[in-house]
Amino acid sequence: MSSVALESVSLSYPGGHLGLADVDLQIGDGEFVALVGPSGSGKTTLLRTVAGFITPTAGTVRIGDAVVASPGRSVEPERRGLGMVFQQHAVWPHWSVGRNIEYPLRRAGVSRDERRRRVTEALDLVGLAGAERRNPATLSGGQRQRVAIARAIVARPRVLLLDEALSALDEPLRDRLRLELRALTRDLGLTVVHVTHDRSEALALADRVVVLDGGRVQQVGTPAELLEDPASVFVAKFVSDAAILPGSLDAAGFRADGHPLVLDRSRIEGAQHVRDSAVELAVQPEHVRAIPDATGTAIVASSLFGRGGDDLVLEWNGLEVRSRAQGARCAAGTRVCVEIERASVFRRADTDSDAPDTAAGASTTNSGTAGSASARRRTVSVGA
Amino acid sequence: MASSSNTLARPLAGPTDSGRARGASADSPTRARYNGLGAVRVAMWSAVAALILVPIASILALAVTGSGWSTLADPDVLEAAGNSLVSAAVSGALAVVVGSALALLLERTDLPGRRALRLLALSPMLMPPFVGAIAWLSLLGPSATVNTFWTQRFGAPLWNLYGGDGVIFLLTLHSYPIAMIIVTAALRRVPADLEQAARIAGSSAPRALWEVTTPLLRPAMLSSFTLIAVSNLADFGIPSIIGLPQRYVTLSTLVYRTLQSGTADDPLAVVSAIGFVLLVIALLGVLVDLLRARTRVELDAQAGAPALLPLGRARVPVGVLTAVAVLAVTVLPLITLAIQSLLPAPGVPLSAETVTLASFERALTASGTLTGIGNSLMLAALAGLICGVLGLGIGTIVTRTRARSNSALLGLSLLPQAIPGLVIAVAWLVIAPRIGLYNTPWLILCAYLTSFLALVVQSVHAPLSATPTTAEEAARISGASRLRALWDISCRMAVPAAISGAILVALTAVRELTLSVLLLSPGSQTLGVVIFNLQQAGAYNASSALSLIVALVGLAGLGLTARTPR
Repeated sequence: MSSVALESVSLSYPGGHLGLADVDLQIGDGEFVALVGPSGSGKTTLLRTVAGFITPTAGTVRIGDAVVASPGRSVEPERRGLGMVFQQHAVWPHWSVGRNIEYPLRRAGVSRDERRRRVTEALDLVGLAGAERRNPATLSGGQRQRVAIARAIVARPRVLLLDEALSALDEPLRDRLRLELRALTRDLGLTVVHVTHDRSEALALADRVVVLDGGRVQQVGTPAELLEDPASVFVAKFVSDAAILPGSLDAAGFRADGHPLVLDRSRIEGAQHVRDSAVELAVQPEHVRAIPDATGTAIVASSLFGRGGDDLVLEWNGLEVRSRAQGARCAAGTRVCVEIERASVFRRADTDSDAPDTAAGASTTNSGTAGSASARRRTVSVGA
Repeated sequence: MASSSNTLARPLAGPTDSGRARGASADSPTRARYNGLGAVRVAMWSAVAALILVPIASILALAVTGSGWSTLADPDVLEAAGNSLVSAAVSGALAVVVGSALALLLERTDLPGRRALRLLALSPMLMPPFVGAIAWLSLLGPSATVNTFWTQRFGAPLWNLYGGDGVIFLLTLHSYPIAMIIVTAALRRVPADLEQAARIAGSSAPRALWEVTTPLLRPAMLSSFTLIAVSNLADFGIPSIIGLPQRYVTLSTLVYRTLQSGTADDPLAVVSAIGFVLLVIALLGVLVDLLRARTRVELDAQAGAPALLPLGRARVPVGVLTAVAVLAVTVLPLITLAIQSLLPAPGVPLSAETVTLASFERALTASGTLTGIGNSLMLAALAGLICGVLGLGIGTIVTRTRARSNSALLGLSLLPQAIPGLVIAVAWLVIAPRIGLYNTPWLILCAYLTSFLALVVQSVHAPLSATPTTAEEAARISGASRLRALWDISCRMAVPAAISGAILVALTAVRELTLSVLLLSPGSQTLGVVIFNLQQAGAYNASSALSLIVALVGLAGLGLTARTPR
């Protein structure tokens, strides 16, 4: 078990495209970290950089105390002492289950008796006791993924890397394996880096979640921090499906541009950090309440049944807002009035939330009014 | 067989099915659609029966009833059989070794110039084997420059190509590209994450390649061995041109001699007995291959491109070595062939005065050359056309309809691939007198159809079976009848594949020798036979000139078709 540390790691491709841009990340010993982001955000690239399949063009990667990658030098994947589970399990089809799992031990020069003992132990851990002699072709998808997990943990890796490890499985099975995986890694005290495109999976499993976009770290935080205190409009949009409204902020509160929405300053936090008057308001679905009202200004455009409450899309004076309030049930076509319990405000960036492709000169196209990027957040809940 | 397909039709076709099964008077359009599909199926079955079942059955019948069995114990026959088996097995094994090594080297390492080398390494396949033999004789024949120089210098030739070792060498050379293609395809199907998992588990890059990837290639190596050994078992061009001068007789040259000399009382019975033995050997090979296929491992979809193995310091030396070897076996014989065709007679030194186009003139004006070219073009065009149409029909029916007879139809139409050309030729010789085609060029056409139909069926079958059936189901939902959907969707999708398959058939047929030389009749000689006869008659320079034309046209033509579909 080891910590992982990335220091200003960048990866630029020959065409000038940045796979990773100045990534700083500390993963503590025994910590479970999930990497999320839209496709192309660099989460798999980051994982493969830790694995050693990709060598960064700048910065250093440390596993434990050892530097495994620095400019011009890269320790090969097989010498990094890792375990890895792939999306398509990658169980070697020409060997039996037992032979598959014992392979890392064989490479490490572990004696035959010890190998047998540890394979049995690993199979026990993943709930496949006694499957040593089976042919992988006779296993189901979930069982093969269990074999892959056993193979990844059998040699007590310093870090366990999961590359969309559960994504190829059916939903109920994925759910169960998710629980088992969490219990297993916690019991063994494993340091885990988990790449997933499933946001709720990341929030459910991880001690800390890393949100990536355009090869940059957008935010690192616990699942609760991510929901309550998004660092940027992008994080609020990506993690929470927040609706974004441009508007202006004054002493009274927020006034949307070209929209009747007005929000009292007491329900907005982060306001003290934003000096300019042109701002963007991020409203999370959980904080939007739709109250059926024949005179309401919004109409329910679509309603999906959810376990805790319906997932609504509201058409509100040309603005599309999602609502996912607890216990609310509302059919499509209902006229409603909208109540916003709280929202967070961010300094407005004139450029869209798109990834800044050119690393240099990122500020040149941004709004002229200066304001350091770090000084544009803070949300505090306000009682409804 | 046609009716069995209907009762098994998909649920979508439910009402029509039951209507037909009960024999109730369904509305007429429904019945018409039904009969349409059934008729197509019957037509395809009759074609396959006439082209494949009847010849095989007739050779079996004649072998069983005929008097040829006693000759099988003849020491000449036994020796020829031994030579055939040894040359086929050794050349097959060597071809697989060379082909797999090249596939790994060119596909999975950072060797410089991989792309160009890959194309060059495949080029021997584009040349007919007998043209290759003539080209290599111009390089390593007893009177070729290399050997005369060596004899003057060291008292003995460097290597006289004539004889058994030359036959094996040339058979290997002409078949390793097949192994290379099959192994490369298998290599590309191995998911990259298998090797990555091995790296994470602690194995180095070369070890991961050796322990994880190479074992997964074993089935591909085995099936390419079977394919190559079967086709080499009965190659005629190489053993007759390279082997016969040293009395290295194989079964195919023995059959040719038996048929030509007429010394045997009943030559057909003798050769059909030989053909039967060859057939059994070939089918055993297929059977072994099929049994192996059952234990074949299942691979998931490709995930990411595999990492190339860095050769490190060895990169440049290995690259130079590979390039020299590949150039030596592909370009060098073509150069010496060109030189030989520009000289008036063998052994004449090359200089500005001796260079002449007389060989080309002699070759092209020789009696029968133009007839041969005309015959070959006509037969090849017809074979391409007919195989294209039949292959499209069979390929579409077996992949896009559900019927118990489908796998039989597919298996039967692909079977001739596993049958040595010699056996097919003998089979048509046996049938010829009974269907009135004896001594006509149409007999050669029939043999071409039997041999090459599989090429089109295969090229149609592969892409069509990869397309989901939802394509037609969407057409059915949109209101197309079964036959309509099959015609509008599946056939249209398969037409490009059928056309490139048909072109491949035509290009293969136009330079064919084994079938044509055995089915030869007056006035029906083909291009291959013309070249072969010039060579036999000692007109080496003329045969070189014609070979050069065939080789260059073949390289250009196949190169073009290989590029267009992709």
